[in-house]
Amino acid sequence: MRHALALIAALGFTAPALADSTVKTDNVEARLVSESTSVAPGGTVTVALRLQIREHWHTYWSYAGDSGEATTVEWTLPQGVTAGPLQFPYPHRIEVPPLVNFGYEGTVLHLTDIQIPASARPGDTIALKGDAVWLVCAEVCIPEEGVLTLDLPVAAEAGAPDPAVAAEFAAARAAMPTASPWPATASVNGKTLTISLDAPELAKAGLEKAVLFPAAGGYIKNAAPQTVETSSGALTIATETGRRFATPAKAAEVKSVPAVLVATGADGVTHAFTLDAPVTGAPPGAAVDGEGGLSVWTAILFAFLGGLILNLMPCVFPVLSMKALALAKKGGDTRAARAGGLAYTAGVVISFVAIAGVLIALRASGEQVAWGFQLQSPIVVAGLALLFFVIGLNLMGVFEVGGRVQNIGSGLGKGDGVTASFLTGVLAALVAAPCTAPFMAGAVGAAISQPAAIALAIFAALGFGMAAPYLALTFSPALIRLMPKPGTWMVRLKQVLAFPMFGSAAWLLWVLVIQAGPNVLALVLTAFILAGFGLWLWGLAQRGEAGLKTKILAGLTAIPVIAAVAMARPAPPSGLVHEAYSPARLDELLKEGKPVFVNLTAAWCVTCLVNEEVALSGQGLADAFAKSGVTYLKGDWTNRDPDITRLLEQHGRAGVPLYLFYAAGKTEPVVLPQLLTEGIVIDAISGS
Amino acid sequence: MLKTLMLAAALIVPAAAAPVVGEAAPAFSGKDTRGETVSLADFAGKTVILEWTNNGCPYVRKHYGAGNMQKTQEAAAADGAVWLTIVSSHEGKQGYVTPAEADALTAERGAKPTDVILDTDQSIARAYEARTTPHMFVIDGEGKLVYAGAIDDKPTADPKDIETANNLVLAALDDLKNGRPVATPESEPYGCAVKY
Repeated sequence: MRHALALIAALGFTAPALADSTVKTDNVEARLVSESTSVAPGGTVTVALRLQIREHWHTYWSYAGDSGEATTVEWTLPQGVTAGPLQFPYPHRIEVPPLVNFGYEGTVLHLTDIQIPASARPGDTIALKGDAVWLVCAEVCIPEEGVLTLDLPVAAEAGAPDPAVAAEFAAARAAMPTASPWPATASVNGKTLTISLDAPELAKAGLEKAVLFPAAGGYIKNAAPQTVETSSGALTIATETGRRFATPAKAAEVKSVPAVLVATGADGVTHAFTLDAPVTGAPPGAAVDGEGGLSVWTAILFAFLGGLILNLMPCVFPVLSMKALALAKKGGDTRAARAGGLAYTAGVVISFVAIAGVLIALRASGEQVAWGFQLQSPIVVAGLALLFFVIGLNLMGVFEVGGRVQNIGSGLGKGDGVTASFLTGVLAALVAAPCTAPFMAGAVGAAISQPAAIALAIFAALGFGMAAPYLALTFSPALIRLMPKPGTWMVRLKQVLAFPMFGSAAWLLWVLVIQAGPNVLALVLTAFILAGFGLWLWGLAQRGEAGLKTKILAGLTAIPVIAAVAMARPAPPSGLVHEAYSPARLDELLKEGKPVFVNLTAAWCVTCLVNEEVALSGQGLADAFAKSGVTYLKGDWTNRDPDITRLLEQHGRAGVPLYLFYAAGKTEPVVLPQLLTEGIVIDAISGS
Repeated sequence: MLKTLMLAAALIVPAAAAPVVGEAAPAFSGKDTRGETVSLADFAGKTVILEWTNNGCPYVRKHYGAGNMQKTQEAAAADGAVWLTIVSSHEGKQGYVTPAEADALTAERGAKPTDVILDTDQSIARAYEARTTPHMFVIDGEGKLVYAGAIDDKPTADPKDIETANNLVLAALDDLKNGRPVATPESEPYGCAVKY
């Protein structure tokens, strides 16, 4: 077929000026076109391979995307004539969900510079022959080819540009990517690749749209949505990483990300830029609110500060207070106090590092986990609720831990032994876990996506921050002297501090109901009553008011308590009130060009619930949604959901909440702030 | 103690993940042309090759028309490896075949797969993020994904290129047989899009 076409081409044209051949296949009309009417010896002429593609069909860019093949031309040229590389104008995304191709629809011109030798003589004809091969696809793909010829007359002077084709050559040149005048960097945070361009002009001029096309496979997940943001002179595009970043070892081999950025300004003019963004550690100019992740040192600092704040959490404060009061009572013995302080610190730090280690190991094995993952298991939630309840009973004085009743102010903070202090540290880290999720999201998000050593350092900083106040206390006798004198007020304080514990337990029970349903709640509340009864009996025995039989009976109550907690399993999902988020549903809505609001939430995320109450429940918003035809998709991350984890990661988040608004006809969402008001949401919708 | 429980609880919940070369291959099961269930777990201890195919795709035809795919299947069989040909075209989409049509195609082109799986719900394709036909995966006896990508290194539809191409699946099988790490564990797959 190839030869037959060549033969027809050879027979049919006897070299009039600019004689060319047109090849018509079922799906493409292909032709070689010269920009000039004639060429001069030693000169250069630009020739285009023009493909007119059948409607709804497409050919491919130099990197075709998830499937397909780039167009090629093999030249057969007279002695001394040379052809430059075939040039590819910027492509378009051709979506075939869940895949995407990069290519062209309609008409495309691939330019090539042809160098004419100085030895060419005016009056000669230069016969160009190109064997073009292209793959053209709609749903099916057809490889097509054509032998194309073009005769160029040689004249003493270069011919004028052919006015008939001047416009399409100009358009083809404008569509050719040029080297980016702005420096670009690439950074990887978890499964998010962020390309940042230090482009104040671009950011200032206003950007209508920007799309990143990787120059080769494996850098990004081609079909993943891209989030474009312009702020303080920088343009950033964030999307999901490809296989080259699948493991830290593989990622370490990627030195730079070659790509073409296609940017459309507010003026509607599109430019394409080639860039080769070197891969750096973390995204530059990372925002404190976790919008784009944090730099390592910032993350460590915030982890430390976060650790300090943890001491004030209702889950932790009572434990720490008891420990501090016990210390105050001991007073002078500073050497033992210091040893205890160090042991406590070690307990806290090692616990945090251990949690981090498990988190990293899980992620390395491909698990879709993020911070708060502990709370996605009803058994864990039930167990923690029970633990808080038991600590509350202890603070109330129902029973003592291992000590005698005379030891006022001991309880959980009991014991000056190094082991006891270490275990108190472990306990503090454990009870802190539920409180960390909303406050630690930024630092933890940065942490778990870093190389293991850095991640562990960040978690160690978190633990150290949490242990720091108590450690400082043990190392400063002056501070200890500032503590109030022991007295019966300590008993009252201890009892008061039981209430934050009961509050924490109540909150976890509420989470549990949403996770696992009312039947599990009944089960766990029964466990509470049994545990309370058992510990009351135990307390009686401790005070010498009852004998061994009571103690054994108390011990026996532990069996049904543990069994009840272990049976805390979620009920089968009930009918959903909101339209549930799924990637497929989102894709479908976006394909229809409909506006979509996505809310990713979880019952144990306090910020999420506050936002839903404050911003996402009013009549005003309901009216605004109805007026703009917005579909409201809600992703509930209370239980594990890899699809939601992926969407979070695409936007550089390690946890909920995340609010996205896709304007009508847009596939790139606007990311709304983590602290919402109804006004912000309505503005985002009506601004579209 | 409670923390141990908590972590154990986190560990036992499975999750889907994109396949990573060098790590455990995603588990899957599907129905073959006889309607029997075939799972990756059935072939523990054996090398398993996955081949995504679509009989209408010119790139598939390139390799079957020239006997290249059959040759690769025979070499795999000689090594005792399991070859699973997978058709993931959605019902009603191009490339969808009934079990009888799939068997007829196997006979017609003299193919030698161990089994042909009709992945009509695309669950296997999604688990492996299969993009093209052909798209090839090699899983070693320990269940580790050791190769993912193209059948060879000449990404064209022209059968003439097969002669000069380096068959990356054969190379991976050869490395496995000789106890070497797979020299080229990943490549960019080429061909027609999987019709999801």
